[in-house]
Amino acid sequence: MSRDRLTPVERFAAYHRGEPVDRLPCVPIVGNTAARVLGVKVSQFRGNGWLIADAQVAAYRRFGYDVIRIFTDLYTQAEAMGAKVHYPEDETAYLAAPAITAADEIASLQPADPHKDGNLPHHLEAMERAFQAVGKEVPVTGALTGPFTTASFLIGTENLVRLTLKNPAAVHQLCEVAYQGALVYAGAILDTGCTPSLTDAMCSTTVISPRQFKEFGQPYLKRLVDFIHGRGRSVTLHICGKTAPILEAMADTGADCLSIDNAADLEAAKVKVGHHVRLMGNVPPSEIMLQGTPAQVREAVRACVRKAYNNPKGLIVASGCSLPVETPFANIDAMLDAVREIGWPVDADELETELAA
Amino acid sequence: MSSQTETLFRALSDSVVGMDEDRTRQLSIQAVNQGIDALTAIEHGLVEGMNRAGKLFETEEYFIPELLLCSDAMYAGLDILRPHLKHEENQIRHKIVIGVVEGDTHDIGKNLVKIMLEASGFDIVDLGRDIPPQRFVDEAVKAQASVIALSTLMTTTMDGMAEVIQLLHKANVRERFKVIVGGGPISQSFANRIGADGYAAGAPAAVKLVKQLIGVAA
Repeated sequence: MSRDRLTPVERFAAYHRGEPVDRLPCVPIVGNTAARVLGVKVSQFRGNGWLIADAQVAAYRRFGYDVIRIFTDLYTQAEAMGAKVHYPEDETAYLAAPAITAADEIASLQPADPHKDGNLPHHLEAMERAFQAVGKEVPVTGALTGPFTTASFLIGTENLVRLTLKNPAAVHQLCEVAYQGALVYAGAILDTGCTPSLTDAMCSTTVISPRQFKEFGQPYLKRLVDFIHGRGRSVTLHICGKTAPILEAMADTGADCLSIDNAADLEAAKVKVGHHVRLMGNVPPSEIMLQGTPAQVREAVRACVRKAYNNPKGLIVASGCSLPVETPFANIDAMLDAVREIGWPVDADELETELAA
Repeated sequence: MSSQTETLFRALSDSVVGMDEDRTRQLSIQAVNQGIDALTAIEHGLVEGMNRAGKLFETEEYFIPELLLCSDAMYAGLDILRPHLKHEENQIRHKIVIGVVEGDTHDIGKNLVKIMLEASGFDIVDLGRDIPPQRFVDEAVKAQASVIALSTLMTTTMDGMAEVIQLLHKANVRERFKVIVGGGPISQSFANRIGADGYAAGAPAAVKLVKQLIGVAA
């Protein structure tokens, strides 16, 4: 890690205190791309916590970013509660079938036991191993899918969104059981030494209305955030897709950092909620990180920094969502290099000058 | 058109926008019983309502749940009115083959596009989700479709979209179809790169795109 003067843990600590740092924190959200660093197939991660950990640690060492997130896909908790997941040989898994198909089956669902059900034990093993290996120098987080999103995998998204209008009580019943599962899993993640990192993809206004987010998403997220805070950790909340109308409600969950998609705007987020939360984002994962050139990555990073370097609660330069598996290493390097080049303190005039030129 | 008929069409439209499946069904039966022309009732009632819902969706007053329930109401009405269409009215419609590319099972976006295209009078062949590239080609040829619409939410399946276009070239049928692409990771530049005819960011935009590509009035 000779490229940077500080370790990620040192960098975050100084940044929190408002002390000098070497550069802004930077997190290209590496998920299954880690398989490419070790030269293994994505499907080898299934049921193999050690390999997930080793790949994630190798990816961190290769690129030198600031947070390791143990993550393969969003379905782990739903799978442990009965959803069927399809595992292609060398691509990210996807939902094959929900656990149930009708509201009257919700009562048959049980919160998963993270030490026994599905792939949860393997993910906990990965978290523990990664934390043991590098937890002193870099924050290691464990992906925790939000209750509403897990609910969508348990009963099917179309089913769930129809029920939000037709049978709200059933949606709450389903979110509650998904929440109970998430709560136990969050506790188990904390026991490994890692911090849960919340993602609630289906809560975006790309899918549901702000009113529905406040009714079915936010209350359950808030309870999870409160629980994690009770264990002395800070929490990042990521919601994919459009979030402009729900930024305040996201901040009201109590999350310390909001990670936003490129479908939302960092500058607008800064104005709306920047006094309460740190912001993380939002280089486009597909159009720029996967399909762009290193020069385009650099441009996108500079655009993010220009918009939110002065966010009152701070900025983490990040991709807008988990990176696609085949994201070129050169683009991930370019993201870190762009942040190193900008350095700290950020010279806003220089960023603007180049924009004008 | 009598004012009584107009009132009925307005009520049909309102019941679709109001997501009221039962009322849409009752009003459709009423239209049939009163001998009102089925095609006019569909266009001025059900489709008009679905278009209003589409506008509310574009302005973010409605979201996916509302749009789906509006479409449930529209389809309930269509089930009653369609059997009363005159034969020739069923013949002249452009066909669109639509599906989610192999390797992905996210299909809400595809379903919304399908609903809005259907409401606009297109004939839809919905292949479903997780569809191999060759099947798009085979089905489009078989259906004599005008348009092939490809959807995905996952970056891993984007190559499948390019493959559909390559297969169309290989089979010497590329010029028979307009190919449109959409979904979370897709952009106009991606559409250009793979040689698609168009990209739309959402369901109402997809309708405008299709109309523009095949030259039918909006």
